[in-house]
Amino acid sequence: MYRCLIIEDDPQNARYIADGLRELGYFASVAADGVEGLSRAMAEPWDVIVLDRMLPHGVDGLSIVATLRGLGKLTPVLGLSALAAIDERVKGLKAGCDDYLTKPFGFSELAARVAALVRRAQPGEVQQEIVVADLRLNLLARSAERGGAALQLQPREFRLLAYLMSHAGQVVTRTMLLEAVWDYRFDPNTNVIDVHISRLRNKVDRFHPSPLIHTVRGVGYALSAEPPDGAR
Amino acid sequence: MPNPLGRLWSSVAFRLALNYGALVVVTMAVILTLFYLQTVGVLQSRIDQHIVVTGQRLLYTAQREGVDQLARDIQDMLRDGMNADTEIYLLLDPAGAKRVGNVLPMPLPPGAASQVAEQRSVRDGRVTDARLRAYLLADGSRLIVGSDMQHQREIERLIVRAIGWGALVALFMTVGGALVFRQELDKRIGGIRRTIVGIEAGDLSQRIPISSQEDEFARLNREINGMLDRLEQLMDGVRHVSNTIAHNLRTPLTRILLGLRAAEARPDADRGDALRLAARDVEELSVIFDKLLGIAEVESGARRQGFLPVPLEQLAGEMVEFYEPVAEEQGARIALWVQPGSAAPGDRDLLAGALANLLDNALKYGGADARVSVRAFMEAGQAHLVVQDDGPGVAAADLERIGTRFFRAHPARDELPGFGLGLASVCAVVRLHGGQIRFEDAAPGLRVSIVLPAAQ
Repeated sequence: MYRCLIIEDDPQNARYIADGLRELGYFASVAADGVEGLSRAMAEPWDVIVLDRMLPHGVDGLSIVATLRGLGKLTPVLGLSALAAIDERVKGLKAGCDDYLTKPFGFSELAARVAALVRRAQPGEVQQEIVVADLRLNLLARSAERGGAALQLQPREFRLLAYLMSHAGQVVTRTMLLEAVWDYRFDPNTNVIDVHISRLRNKVDRFHPSPLIHTVRGVGYALSAEPPDGAR
Repeated sequence: MPNPLGRLWSSVAFRLALNYGALVVVTMAVILTLFYLQTVGVLQSRIDQHIVVTGQRLLYTAQREGVDQLARDIQDMLRDGMNADTEIYLLLDPAGAKRVGNVLPMPLPPGAASQVAEQRSVRDGRVTDARLRAYLLADGSRLIVGSDMQHQREIERLIVRAIGWGALVALFMTVGGALVFRQELDKRIGGIRRTIVGIEAGDLSQRIPISSQEDEFARLNREINGMLDRLEQLMDGVRHVSNTIAHNLRTPLTRILLGLRAAEARPDADRGDALRLAARDVEELSVIFDKLLGIAEVESGARRQGFLPVPLEQLAGEMVEFYEPVAEEQGARIALWVQPGSAAPGDRDLLAGALANLLDNALKYGGADARVSVRAFMEAGQAHLVVQDDGPGVAAADLERIGTRFFRAHPARDELPGFGLGLASVCAVVRLHGGQIRFEDAAPGLRVSIVLPAAQ
């Protein structure tokens, strides 16, 4: 069970996040202010911390991340804020947040990002090659093959596949894909990403009895050998 | 208001005018006082000088030709009619008795022996103020030379009276002016006040009447009216939005409720589908809410602080590339025409999202084999971003309403997905950037032009 600390002063929002994460099988605990949050973040082992930027008594969430990082804690942090300005996001990432989400956000978006952070923190080597079932992706040669047959991928398709594969087994949202592959952050109309995915599917899953790219209703996509829960 | 004076005093116009008037009166008083002192001083010093010169001359006569000759000279001078109104001569013998002169002997003021001094005297049987100088002659006689100050005093009184009247008239004019000024200002402000009272009571359509005079008040009133127009527009917008939100949410909510009620009646095994449908509808609602919140967030202007120059040529290129597969799939084509160096300060992600929305619409309404064009260029120091399709376009009557929340120009084509929020969000983004958006008939199709102020 992954342990998640939520540092958020708004009780409704905190409960919304905590309940949702618990439903997904996390152990979730809420700290309602910065001081408690910081001391608990230091004292207990966590897999991920969800941190609101604006905390009571004028505490900036970023100072908590900076303190954590300064003390050598590498727990992944997902920053939350209503300050949607681009430079706020950059400031958040600079201060040591691993990902940043601006309000309003859907819970599935938050859950997908938390899951990605938890996995990222797991010890793993820098990969040159990612393998999922009979699909192989060589990051250095920028080539892919399935069942021994090379796939002809456009550069964007390659990046899309690489992102899906490096998050194999996890659900990634359309916003996450747009961000990782196209480097834009906005809420894309569903069908655009869907078309890109369906093109990729055509190249990856066509002629193969077991598809690897799965659609997860209402959330996004997952690439895995076995269809994940909620996939159709 | 029991006290009319207090009410007057509570008027800023009255106080201002009165204070200004008081300033004028004080200034006038200072100037007139200086004028008076100068005039009177010069006149008096002339008289004194004349007395001294005459005294010296007579003294010289007495020394050279004797006191008797002096007495005769004085007689002559008194008779010659020159300066008859003012001249004063008096010769006293050593015993102190009057030998000749036109005044009665009087006690000499202290200091009269060394300088001209003032003393009340009786001249030709009339009491008068006089400036006098006394000389002691060698034989013990005393010569007194002087000047009757009656004329001088009269001139002084005249000046003082003129100043007094002037001050009084100025005071009346000041108070009167203050009253007129107050009334005028009250009249001008009254219009504003009545309008504001009306608005406070809830009638937002009230406007301040604007006088034909192009003065500060006319300008102020015009600006206030402009503000009221915007306020009314915003209020209407808010009312419209809450109405449409309520309306747009009621339909899916009713659908969900009906579905769930129907599912209740069914056996357990059959409920799965109904629940999935309900969940899908709820998801859709949640998407609508997210989009509305997104628009509200953009409209709050919080992002403006993060503006950086955005290269529009690159942005347009990447968004067209992003949509290329969608276009290909429906047999449509997107033509891209960008002028290198097109850029505007802004939020790259918001602008990309806006362009994506426009492309989405163009492809959606352009239909199969649509021809869409995207152009980015600079003109007259402004950055232009134009998206055009060759679809059915939008009726001229609807062009104005595009961009309001939940407005859909093609209700007949409601089978197309969408909530009527895309262009509302585009408009919000453009407004945030201080730009303008125009929807035009491209005959056929719709042309959307975004004009952004370019970087300095």
